[in-house]
Amino acid sequence: MSAGSGVGARGGAGAGSGIGAGGGVGAGQGLGGVRAVRGFLRARSRTRSTSLDRYVTLFCLLMFAAVAGQPVSELLTGLAGAAGTVEPARLGAGVALLALGLAGFLAAARAAGPVLMTAPDASWLLLSPLDRRQVLGRTGRALLMVAVAAGLVLGLGLVAVLGAPDQLGWRVLGALVLGVSASVGAMALAVLARASQSWQMWLVVAVVALLVVAVVAVSGQVRTVLAVAAGAPLTAIAVAASLAAAGSALLARQAWRAFGRIPAREIAAASTRGGHVADAATGVDPSALTWIAEDNHWRGRRLRSRRWPALPAAFATAWQDWRRLARRPGRLAFTLATAGLPALLAQAGGAPGMLGAVVLAGGLAVAASAATGARRDAANPALARLLGIGHRPGLAARAVLPALLAALWTSAALAGLTLTNPTPSPASAATLATSSSAPMTGAGFGLGVAELVLCGVLAAPGLAAGALRMVRRRPVDHSLPVIDTGAGPVPLGPVLWGVTGIDLALAGCLPALLALSTAPPQPGPYLVAQAVTGAAALAGYVLRAGRAT
Amino acid sequence: MDEPIISVENLTVELGGNPVLRELTLTVSPGEIVAVVGPNGSGKSTLLRTLAGLQPASGGEVRVFGAPPADDAAFWRGVAHLGDEPAWYPGLTAGEHLELMAAVHPRARMDVGTALEVFALVERADAAPLNLSTGQRQRLALAATLLRPSRVLLLDEPERGLDLGFRLRLAELLAAYRDEGGTVVMATHDSGLAAHGRLISPVGMAA
Repeated sequence: MSAGSGVGARGGAGAGSGIGAGGGVGAGQGLGGVRAVRGFLRARSRTRSTSLDRYVTLFCLLMFAAVAGQPVSELLTGLAGAAGTVEPARLGAGVALLALGLAGFLAAARAAGPVLMTAPDASWLLLSPLDRRQVLGRTGRALLMVAVAAGLVLGLGLVAVLGAPDQLGWRVLGALVLGVSASVGAMALAVLARASQSWQMWLVVAVVALLVVAVVAVSGQVRTVLAVAAGAPLTAIAVAASLAAAGSALLARQAWRAFGRIPAREIAAASTRGGHVADAATGVDPSALTWIAEDNHWRGRRLRSRRWPALPAAFATAWQDWRRLARRPGRLAFTLATAGLPALLAQAGGAPGMLGAVVLAGGLAVAASAATGARRDAANPALARLLGIGHRPGLAARAVLPALLAALWTSAALAGLTLTNPTPSPASAATLATSSSAPMTGAGFGLGVAELVLCGVLAAPGLAAGALRMVRRRPVDHSLPVIDTGAGPVPLGPVLWGVTGIDLALAGCLPALLALSTAPPQPGPYLVAQAVTGAAALAGYVLRAGRAT
Repeated sequence: MDEPIISVENLTVELGGNPVLRELTLTVSPGEIVAVVGPNGSGKSTLLRTLAGLQPASGGEVRVFGAPPADDAAFWRGVAHLGDEPAWYPGLTAGEHLELMAAVHPRARMDVGTALEVFALVERADAAPLNLSTGQRQRLALAATLLRPSRVLLLDEPERGLDLGFRLRLAELLAAYRDEGGTVVMATHDSGLAAHGRLISPVGMAA
């Protein structure tokens, strides 16, 4: 009771001051107001953490560090050692992949907002006299954590690509600093782009520059420069890392200042539109991000209504996905262009098994991107009920486009792998696979172009089934228990959410994956098995899902 | 006397352990408009969701077309349910949502052009639904619901977001639907709209 009264009085005073001063709330006052509100909410939350919870979390993190320290160290040594004898072509491909990764991160951050809040915060705290920057403090911290995590991955990638001829520890540290600086800078740029048009232009410039770097790197024009960078002395790396960190900190500071200038309409549109309330109320749900990006896109587009083609009822419903795809030709072209990425990865030294998994994962992602109708029907079936289409025929019709796109993309990716990395004979492939001096001069699948294309086509139904299961999964169930494992607590809800869809795709594409990993001398039986498994996965999923409401 | 199209006997629904509907009995004949009225929390929306088969009953019996409501294509071909705002398909305009509805239901009650005129959406046919106002989105949802053929309309506060003029127009549209033999069960707070039908209240017969 006393806590409630205290908070109410403090919050009220803060709000009153803010209004009276024409929005000129002092930083300290605003911070106090936001803290009071957050404290009020925390005190009444059913999931508030106690000191014991915090202790357990810290203990688990320390245990994780102790357990994972040795394997990570070995991994780093392995990465650096493998890269120490890297070929120039592999170096170029690796740098191109890193540049593309950073460009993708920048584009994804921009598309997702990136400044968004949970719906309750957007509803209750955003449109209030509370200091905007302080209200967004939690979002800022989350964005920073995401950027740091992405940066660490980027840094590890840098180590793998450039190698570490000497002083492993310092070189790894330098690479991690460079990676984190790049990703934090990119995230800051994405935030700044929300606040002003001029920063938006710089963001586009940065993405284009990264794409140019990728193209130049893979073309082999700057092999000498890359070789010099790979063997750069430690002092040069220290200078580069320091400059990158300083630049990144400057951008992050600018972004933090811009937090107060981001229009409420931008944040509210990204946070509260449509059905995001339910998603956000249960915690940060990754699927909410795709909805936000999709809705933002269409709200800004100028469309012209066109006649609906005369099709059977189920296909008439599914035509929505086709029309949506046709209205984004640039996105379709981009999606198809990404089929070249596995070839790039092969040049960078990817093993056949890993390349096969990447191709199938790419096919799954492409299929899922074309299944928005099924996603919307699953999340909010009101319109589907109004249409009165049966679950099974509706889902079967909606599977056609994802399957077609997956077939196109997967076949193109596998064909690209063999065309850019001519497949040697199985005997020489075995020799090459064990030779570190000639890593993957062939894709190493041991299959011909026609067989690989066929393999991609036959895997498509399995990928479409996985994609449909993925887009129709329910939001993360945060009520599921957290499992204590040797490596720390594992929240079951997000894990199950994450594997839903991938599981079916994996089962439906298992023969193809085996064929791509083991390079069998007689691929025929694998292809037949893939045809049967893929069709069975899709048919089984449609039949089973059709029973559900 | 016609066979009832909806019959509810001793319906009890509990949500989270709280009884929302208790021992409700209701019979609706074909060609009838029933207005479910009552204060907030009296169970109007729950009753409609139960009739649509979206909310399981804790007790009693619900029959629509002589059988318990089933969430399948045959049921939804006969029943059109409009509750909260539906999620609109990405990439389609307002007009194309109606085109889609007409393409799926060949024997539509009206063509798309007529629906756009009747629901005053001609000017906004090319707009993305999310760019329409609240009232316009409600008109679009009603247009989609009334464009398609059905035998039973279940409407939850169809007046939501509508201006007074269109509420009167909606009453005429529902009367026309009834005159074609359709049955309407709607939860409403609009006394004018409710006056066109038989009033019931989930907490007891109001009239």
